[in-house]
Amino acid sequence: MFQRLLIANRGEVAVRIARTARAMSVAPIGIASRADLGARWLAAMDETVCVGGASPRESYLQAERIVQAAVQTGCSALHPGWGFLAENPRFAALCAQHGVAFVGPPARVMRLMGLKTPARIAMQAAGLPVIPGSRDLLADADAAVAKAREIGYPVILKADAGGGGRGMRRCTEPRELAEAFAAASAEAQAAFGNGKLYLERYLAGGRHIEVQILADRFGKAVHLFERECSIQRNHQKLIEESPSPALSPAERSEIGGAAARAAAQIGYVGAGTIEFLRDGAGKLYFMEMNTRLQVEHPVTEAITGIDIVKEQLRIAANEALALVQDRIAARGHAIECRINAEDPAQGFRPSPGRIETFEIPTDKGPGTVRIDTHLGAGDEVSPYYDSLVAKVIAHAPTREKAIETMLRALAGARIEGIATTIPLHLEVLVSEEFRSGRYDTSRIPGWGVGAA
Amino acid sequence: MAHVPLSPIGRPREGFLDAATYEKSLAAMREKEELLASRRAQVAAGWGPTYVDRVHADGKLTARERLEKLKDPGSTPFEVGTFVNHGRKFGNRESPGAGVVTAFTRVEGRWTMVIANDNTVASGSWWPRTPEKIERAQEMALRLRLPVVYLVDCSGLYLPEQSQSFPGRTGAGHIFKKNSELSAAGVPQIAGVFGDCIAGGGYMPIISDRVYMTEKAYMVIAGAALIKGAKSQHLSSLDIGGAEVHVHRSGCADVRVPDDDTALAMIREEIARLPTSGAEFYRHAADPAEPHHASAELSGLFPADHRMTYPAEEVLARLVDDSHFWEIFPERGREMIVGIGRVSGLYVGFVANRQGVIDDPDHCGAKKPAGILYREGIAKVAAFSRACDDDGIPIVWLQDISGFDIGVEAEKQGLLAYGSSLIYTNSTNTTPMFTVLLRKASGAGYYAMAGLPYEPIVQLSTPIARLAVMEGRTLAIAAFNTKLDDDFQIAAKDPEERAKIEAGMKETEQRIEGDMDPYRSASQMDTDEIVACGELRGWLELFAEASYQSIGYRRVKNPRIWSLHDLATLSEPRT
Repeated sequence: MFQRLLIANRGEVAVRIARTARAMSVAPIGIASRADLGARWLAAMDETVCVGGASPRESYLQAERIVQAAVQTGCSALHPGWGFLAENPRFAALCAQHGVAFVGPPARVMRLMGLKTPARIAMQAAGLPVIPGSRDLLADADAAVAKAREIGYPVILKADAGGGGRGMRRCTEPRELAEAFAAASAEAQAAFGNGKLYLERYLAGGRHIEVQILADRFGKAVHLFERECSIQRNHQKLIEESPSPALSPAERSEIGGAAARAAAQIGYVGAGTIEFLRDGAGKLYFMEMNTRLQVEHPVTEAITGIDIVKEQLRIAANEALALVQDRIAARGHAIECRINAEDPAQGFRPSPGRIETFEIPTDKGPGTVRIDTHLGAGDEVSPYYDSLVAKVIAHAPTREKAIETMLRALAGARIEGIATTIPLHLEVLVSEEFRSGRYDTSRIPGWGVGAA
Repeated sequence: MAHVPLSPIGRPREGFLDAATYEKSLAAMREKEELLASRRAQVAAGWGPTYVDRVHADGKLTARERLEKLKDPGSTPFEVGTFVNHGRKFGNRESPGAGVVTAFTRVEGRWTMVIANDNTVASGSWWPRTPEKIERAQEMALRLRLPVVYLVDCSGLYLPEQSQSFPGRTGAGHIFKKNSELSAAGVPQIAGVFGDCIAGGGYMPIISDRVYMTEKAYMVIAGAALIKGAKSQHLSSLDIGGAEVHVHRSGCADVRVPDDDTALAMIREEIARLPTSGAEFYRHAADPAEPHHASAELSGLFPADHRMTYPAEEVLARLVDDSHFWEIFPERGREMIVGIGRVSGLYVGFVANRQGVIDDPDHCGAKKPAGILYREGIAKVAAFSRACDDDGIPIVWLQDISGFDIGVEAEKQGLLAYGSSLIYTNSTNTTPMFTVLLRKASGAGYYAMAGLPYEPIVQLSTPIARLAVMEGRTLAIAAFNTKLDDDFQIAAKDPEERAKIEAGMKETEQRIEGDMDPYRSASQMDTDEIVACGELRGWLELFAEASYQSIGYRRVKNPRIWSLHDLATLSEPRT
C-alpha cells in the first residue's frame, strides 16, 4: 500500500479522505491555498504544501503545482476528492507521468465519460437504457427536426460539451426547434468552444437515482446499491437517501447489476457513480457517469458498512476487489442532509463569515448520526469556496426512524454566526410529501418557495 | 517444384521390432527415465519443504509456483539447465538447478523464456554457474527473439563462492550485458520483482521494458545491511528500495502490485499485448498433427546395448507430423538421412545418422558401417544445411555418430576439407538449429553435426546419450598406443606388466564411461537438458513454434522459392 497520499482538495472531503488514509497507515499530505493556510481542517494532514492564491484557479486547479507538491513530499498516490481536478483526464495523465498513482479511473475512461454523446453511446452499447434521442451529433437544424419527429415532442437540445444548462433548449414543436438550434449552438460554442448539439426526448420531473459502483483493474465490478438524489435546488443536491423509496427490490438489483456490468464493460476502474433518470412510468434511463467519489457517498457507506475511500486506495494500488456482490448487503436506511452556509430566508444568498457556535447532537434519535465537516466554532466560512459546512448522515433500521433521527439532530443543532440551510431541511423532513417517499426533481417537497 | 513432396515413412513397430526385444529395450530405458524423473523431482524440491514453507509463510510463492501461474493453463513448460551443478557441492551445500529455473513457457499463446530465481535455494542467490545458466537462457531467447520474463527473487551472489561467479567473462555482470543485447535486438523483456533484489540482482530487472514490483519487493544496489546507521534509523531494505521508492520516485520500476498472483496476472496481460505468433501464418494452412506412429514408442526403439543398431527412419517417423517426410538425396551418402518434415504444421529440416550397414559406393558389392561420416554423406549434409539456411528452415540435428571415417583412403579423399566445409556452413548459418544427442556423439562427428560448440540454440541429450571425444575403449587404445601391437593387443610378454597395462586401460575406459554420463554433461552445461525419448516430439514442437513465432528478424522463404527444390531437382535421376 502507498505510504504517503497527497489529498489534492480542501475542506470536508480532504478531512474525509485523510481519516481513511490514517486508518490504513497511509500518511495524508495536504495542499492549501493561501486563504486556507491555518485552517482547522489542515490539522488532519501530516504536512501541507501551499499551492497558491485564494482563488481556485490559482491553487486547487493548478495541476502542475499540485503534482510538484506530490513529488516533493514523496507521495506515491494522489486522491483528487471531488470537484476541482477530480474529473480532469489531463491531470490524471500528468500524475501518472510523474509516478504518482491517481486515485481514480484511467484517463481514457474519464475522457469517454466526460463527453456526453460518446458516453451515451458507450453505455448504450454496454447495455444501459438511454433516453430516446439522436445517437450522434446533429448536423443541422433539419436533422434535429427530423429526429424530433421520430422520437416525439417535447424534446431538449443539449450541448455535447455542456453543463450548467448552457446550450440547452426545450422545444415543443418543429418551428421552435428549428429556431432554437442556431442559438443553442452559438451559446455552446461561446461557452465551451464546441457548438455541437444533440437532442433527446424531454422528460419532465422524474427522479434522480444513481448507482454506486466499484471496479478493479481486473475486470471485476460490483454495485453498492443506489442513492435517491431527487431533492435538488438549481441542480444542486440537498438531501440524498438510500435505499430509494421508489424502487422495488427487483428493480434495485436489476439496475445495480446492469450498472456494474456496464462499468466492467467500458473498462472502468475505481469508484464511480452511474446516474439514472426515472420517469413517471418507472422506467430508468442512463444520464451520466461521475468518475469520482461523490459528495453523498456516506449514505452508501452507512447502509453497506463499506469504506469507499479505502476501496479506492486499494484499487489504485492494483489490488483485486475483495468484495463479492452476493455478500454485499444493505442494512437499514440512511439519509444525508447537506448543510450549506446559505440563507433560505433570503433566496439562498451565500452567508460566509465566522462561526460562533457549531454544535450538532449525534445522540438524540433512535439511529446513529455521522457528521462530516471540516469546521468548528471560531472558523471562518470562506467566500472563495463551496458553501458546504457539514453533511449530516442519519442511519437507522427503517426510513421512518432515519427521518426521525435526522430531525432530532438538525432540530438540536446550534450553528451561530452564519445562516445555514437547516430550516429548509427541517421543512422537507416533516413534509408529508417527503415522508410518503413520493417526490421528484420538479420541486422540493414541503418547501413552498425556491423550487428548482 | 513448388509442392513439398512429403511421403509416408516408418512402419508399425511390430513390422521391424519383435515384442521381446522391444520390451527389453523399453525396460532398460524405463529404468533410466525413472532415474531422470526422480532427479528432476529432487531439483524441483529445491532445498526442501522447510524452505518452501518459509517462502509461503512470507506470503510469497515459490519460483515453480510462479511459473505454474504464469503459463497458459494446460501447457507444459520446457525447462533447460535443470541439472546444472548436479552432484556439485559447495562446502556441504548443494545448489539444485543452480538456484534458478529457466524454461520455455507458453504465455498467452506465445513462447517466452522465463528466468525465475529459485527462492527455495539460498533465497534465490547466484551460485557458480548460475550466471552462465541465466545467460544461456537469455541467449536462447535472443536467438529466437522470444520475449523474456524475469521472476526476480534474488538475494545477490552466494558470497562464499564469489570468486567463481563474479569476475569472469561470463560472471554475473554478463547477465546485464545480455539484458542490454536483448534490448538492443528489440526483444521484449518483462520483469516481476517479488522479493529480494540486491546488488547485481537489482540490475537484472531494470533493463527490462516493464517492471512490476510487489509490496514485498525491493531493488537496491546495497541492502540495509551495508548502510551505515540503518539500524538506528530503523531503515529496512524495503524502505530503501521498495515499490514506494522505485515505482513512484525513482522510476526504476513501473507498476506496484499487492502480491505475487497479481504480478503474474499482469505480466500475462503484458505478454498478451505483444504480437501474436507467426506460426499460424507459416503453417500455410496446414493443421498440426501428431506422428502417425506414436512417439511414445521411441523409448523402446533404442537397443539396451549401445553397440547394437536400430532403424533411424523409424525414429524420424515418430517425430514428424502424420509420419510424413521428404528425404532428399536418398541415393547418395546413404549413411546420412536428410530431409524435410512438418512439426506442429511447420517445416523443419532433419539430419540423422542411418544405422547398421550400407552399400559402399566406392567398392561395388561391398558394405560398410553407417553411423560414420563419409565423403558423400558430409557433402550431402553440408549442401542440405546451406539450403535450409538459405530458405530459413530450422534444422534439427539427430546425432548418433561415431565420428569421421579414418584411414588412408579417407585422407586421400580429403575428408578434412569436406568436414571443414560443413563446419563452415554450420558455423555461419543463421537459421535456427537444434541438436539432439540420441546416443553417440563422438569426436569430430559431434562437431560436424552441430554439437554444442557450434552453438545450436538448444542441445538436448537423451538418457542414453554418450558424449565424448571417443568411446572409452578407443580412447584407451589411443592412450596406450605405444604398449599395443598392430591388432591393438598388449605387446608385453611379462605377466605383471601385462596386468598393469590391462588395469590402466580398464581404468581409462571406465573414466571415459563416467564422463559420458549425460548428467555429467548437463551439470557442466555441455548439454542443455536431458529429456526422455518420449518427450522429444514435444520439444520439437516447441523448437518449430518458437522458430516461427517472431516475424521479421530472419529470412523465411515460402516453399515455392526454396533453394532446396533446386538441389532436389539436380539430384533426380534422368528418366
